Amino acid sequence: MNAPSWVRDVFEHYLICEFTSIDNGKPVTFPLLFFYNDDPHRFVVTSSILFSRKVEHMKKNPKVSLLFSNPEGSGIEKHVVLVQGIAKCDDSDLDHGWERYLPMWRKKEPYIDGFLAAREQFAWFWKRIVVEVEPKKILAWKNGDTSKPAEAINL
Amino acid sequence: MEERGHLETRGGNQPLTSLDLVDPDRLSRFRYGIVTWIDKDGFPFSVATDFLLSENGEILLKRPSVPEIMTGGRVGVLFNHITGIPTGGYTDRRYILVWGRVSEDKGFLKLHAEELSEWDEKILPFDKLCVAAVPQAKRYLESLQPSIDA
Repeated sequence: MNAPSWVRDVFEHYLICEFTSIDNGKPVTFPLLFFYNDDPHRFVVTSSILFSRKVEHMKKNPKVSLLFSNPEGSGIEKHVVLVQGIAKCDDSDLDHGWERYLPMWRKKEPYIDGFLAAREQFAWFWKRIVVEVEPKKILAWKNGDTSKPAEAINL
Repeated sequence: MEERGHLETRGGNQPLTSLDLVDPDRLSRFRYGIVTWIDKDGFPFSVATDFLLSENGEILLKRPSVPEIMTGGRVGVLFNHITGIPTGGYTDRRYILVWGRVSEDKGFLKLHAEELSEWDEKILPFDKLCVAAVPQAKRYLESLQPSIDA
């Protein structure tokens, strides 16, 4: 990806994105923790089966978007980046498939180990679907000024 | 942050004003909104923008510079809040997601709210939200059953 460093910083340091799936033509947006892989470029979110309606949406329509607008807790300046992509949902191993993202999760939420220690108590929460998003288009607003035109990022 | 499900959803066939759906006092506790619609290629298109509340309680969104025309179309607007913790993670999680239509209004986009979903962990703690979401988890597991049986 030919992205400027300030865009890569957003992907590497922001805690959450605003993730949108489509439910029968209606956009449904929620704040979600995300993980970023740069080789190949993929954005990943995981979803408990408790909150799996968005996964049901994506199975019917895999077109999604991730907006990165909130630098809260990231330690970097505010920029706004939109990623549109195709989601692939993997629920083949609800108990362990998501665990490969645990090191990245732990970096963003160090206290997650406390929840993990009570895994039996929160058994439903820890049954998780992995959603991998292949980016198709990226637009970025430096300094978060969305009143100005966005910069298109080459994939 | 995990999606927190629908704490409260209102809507229906009755014509409602934005004030009927959205508490202006609660909305004023958010700094900006995320406007999302479906673009010409069928992808969701989201953009962050500032908003203000008129004296009449109308939600006025600052018009972002975007290539798509969304006026008249259905949009979702997310108002989200978290507080970052210096040691990592966050707290004070709450959001309001409003669906409706927007129209031009003196340089702003006026949101005509039709439906709402929200969560505030101070009102509904996360563990209680998880309990409320168990039926959805069961439905999801049941939907996987045919492939497990095959």
